[in-house]
Amino acid sequence: MAVEKNYGNPELESRLKDTNYYTSDSNKDFSDRVRELSGTISHMCFQCGTCTGSCPSAPRSSYRIRKFMRRAVLGLEDEALTDPDLWLCTTCYSCSDRCPRDILPTDVIMAMRNLAFERDIVPRNFLKTVQLIYNTGHGVPNNDVNRAAREKLGLPRDPPTTHSYPEYIEGIQKIIDHYHLKENADRILAEGE
Amino acid sequence: MAENQEPRIGVFICHCGTNIAGSLDVNAVMEYARSLPNVVVADEYQYMCSTPGQNKIIDAEKDYDLTGVVVAACSPRLHEPTFRTATAEGGLNKFRFEMANIRDQNSWVHMHDWEGATEKAKDQVRIAVAKARLLEDLQPKSVPVEHAAMVVGAGVGGMQAALDLANAGIKTYLVEKDPTIGGRMSQLDKTFPTLDCSQCILTPKMVDAGRHPNIILETYTEVENVEGYIGNFDITLRKKARGTRDGAEMVAAGLEGSGCNGCGDCASVCPVIKPNPFEMGMAPRKAIYIYHPQVMPLQYTIDFDACVKCGLCKDICGTEKNAIDLEMTDSLEKVKVGCVILATGYDLIPIEDKTEWGYRRYENVITGLEFERLICASGPTGGHLIRPSDGETPMKVGFVLCAGSRDNTGGVGKPYCSRFCCMYSLKHAHQIMEKIPGAVPYLFYMDIRSFGKMYEEFYYRIQNEGAKFIRGRVAAIEEDPITKNLYVQTEDTLLGRPVNVECNLVVLAAAIQPKPDAERIRQMFGVSKSQDGWYLEAHPKLNPCGTTTAGIFLAGVCQGPKDIPDTVAQAEGAASAASIPIHQGEVQLEPYFAQCVEDLCAGCGMCVPQCPYGALSLIQKDDRQVMTVTEAKCKGCGTCGGFCPGGAIRMQHFTSPQICAQIDSFLLNPLGGEE
Repeated sequence: MAVEKNYGNPELESRLKDTNYYTSDSNKDFSDRVRELSGTISHMCFQCGTCTGSCPSAPRSSYRIRKFMRRAVLGLEDEALTDPDLWLCTTCYSCSDRCPRDILPTDVIMAMRNLAFERDIVPRNFLKTVQLIYNTGHGVPNNDVNRAAREKLGLPRDPPTTHSYPEYIEGIQKIIDHYHLKENADRILAEGE
Repeated sequence: MAENQEPRIGVFICHCGTNIAGSLDVNAVMEYARSLPNVVVADEYQYMCSTPGQNKIIDAEKDYDLTGVVVAACSPRLHEPTFRTATAEGGLNKFRFEMANIRDQNSWVHMHDWEGATEKAKDQVRIAVAKARLLEDLQPKSVPVEHAAMVVGAGVGGMQAALDLANAGIKTYLVEKDPTIGGRMSQLDKTFPTLDCSQCILTPKMVDAGRHPNIILETYTEVENVEGYIGNFDITLRKKARGTRDGAEMVAAGLEGSGCNGCGDCASVCPVIKPNPFEMGMAPRKAIYIYHPQVMPLQYTIDFDACVKCGLCKDICGTEKNAIDLEMTDSLEKVKVGCVILATGYDLIPIEDKTEWGYRRYENVITGLEFERLICASGPTGGHLIRPSDGETPMKVGFVLCAGSRDNTGGVGKPYCSRFCCMYSLKHAHQIMEKIPGAVPYLFYMDIRSFGKMYEEFYYRIQNEGAKFIRGRVAAIEEDPITKNLYVQTEDTLLGRPVNVECNLVVLAAAIQPKPDAERIRQMFGVSKSQDGWYLEAHPKLNPCGTTTAGIFLAGVCQGPKDIPDTVAQAEGAASAASIPIHQGEVQLEPYFAQCVEDLCAGCGMCVPQCPYGALSLIQKDDRQVMTVTEAKCKGCGTCGGFCPGGAIRMQHFTSPQICAQIDSFLLNPLGGEE
């Protein structure tokens, strides 16, 4: 007796979808925008894995730069931008140095981060960093422990940055305001509360 | 036909299937051709190169009493000879033919511009007709071909080519810069996929080449200078000072003694020790040396850069042999040959420049060629694979494939596939599993390219024997400073996980590149190179052994990466191609050479140094100097013709009136001007 094929069963259909090559999820515009923003030839990636092999983050995390390169090629926008691993790149550029096809995978990640920010997908710590830079000129501001250590080493308590010249903070704020970065960071953080 | 006859031109447009007809309006171009001055017939056909297409030309010549034929089709490189033959069959001189390249230069590049391509085709046909109206009868020149050939480089390709030529009855000079023939193949232990002992199958060939009555073996010899042209190459060889003489050389030099018989007494007393390049520097040799026991010819060579001239070797050699001459100097020899085959081989890239893999920084990172010597029974370790740092037997060996190959980056990266690394790495994996019980090979690969006959089966066999395959290009290798073990870092891309494999020894399948002196040899013989420095064949598919310089042929890796079967096959092809003009005894040269109009020549001589081929010279004629052209040397490049201040040099088939007519017909007609 013939087994019922069970087409039209939503549960089965979603399971079958998983075996696809995700062509239905592909967004060609995403590939094009990544290529444009990164200024690199991500579509030339032949998946050799040198990038992941070089990555200082990969052995300690689930971050796989090669997979992001594949997502860039296939245009898997949602998969790439909603993956929290996107934010684990340290931008050390080891992958870019060693890529045998002269691609800059680091810049592909940077492009994807920009596109994620357009959709308000940014981890809170990155947004808090924006606030810190806006307010102090530093991603990691000086603190008393550091100051004591610096004094012990015979250095001035504060480095010759905005910590010593707070009058320049205003300039930094102007740049950040121009891109509405702080504004957006505040908004996204507030919405997340 | 009469000199002053009005030109009668026939024009034929080829569809080339859809190559041309799919991108432009062939009929419109034909109609347009009919409107051109002096065109008496215009026709079109699907494939002009086919027999019916050629018959159209032949018939039209007879029916319309043509003086010139124009075919608008593909490329003269491909089909000019075909259409010239048809033109000649119709009764015209074959140089009364002109081609308009409306495929390569038009329909292929303007594939999506129907109107534009059609207009351009009309322009091209009009220009070709303008020239065809002024074409003249030309007679090709025949030159005799010397019944001798030269092969440069005596690796397996060079030896095969020389043996084939020699067996065809041609006297062949086999020139090798090293003291022995055999090349890279003699350094290999075994050959894939049959696992034949490389030396065992090569030595008979070396012996054949050394003993063949038609082969003149010129080892330790370099090409110094090349003059001449196909059929008549005058080549100067530099026979480097070898420091010893064999029997024949003793007789030639008029010296007493039997000469070097390869006994090796000299090396046993020599006090100078140098690394042996044949063993990749891993074994010593003396200042007087042979590379290995199977050398051909078996004759010792003195490395005069290292020799201290202590004379111990001369003493032990004795007066009976008297083979050693410590005062020997280089000598030059001139030979004349009809054709030359280049087989200059390859080197590994300087893989140490890829610092992330640590070659020369970490002792236990070696190259594939070093592995060959270490695993070879006649190698420095007697075939015991040991790791350089401590002489221990490695139990885990990493093989890094694509080490520099398929790499677009600058520096040492080579964008091409080096073609034999996959297979020799599989072979290496087999060898360690065979020789070292319990040893595990790890192959780090991007793709395994086992493209040859029985190659994929070999891959299957090695996989079945237990070799471990990890798909990922090696990112970096790091050394444990205490154990000198190596950590091979890569991503297992099929698993999506970074791996860090501890190995006792790592073998880099380094990319290959042309020999350092390939560039000098290429320039001497006037051969072009491709982007990567490999010698450029005349056509990658239809003329893979020839070059754009007539009489020069290519064999082996100097033309591009190849394994032994492909090298030997190409060598046989090159030998066959080179023997054609030699057996014909004469070659026809295209009559494109420059001509000196002596009435106009002022004898200033300024053209003479301009000629890149040395074809021009000044001669005395009726109390004054005029320029003369050695027609066989002239390639018709036009440098002299464009340069001559008096306009006294005429380029046949590309005369000034012909070129001016082409320019006029392009410029004047569309602008509404008149000719």
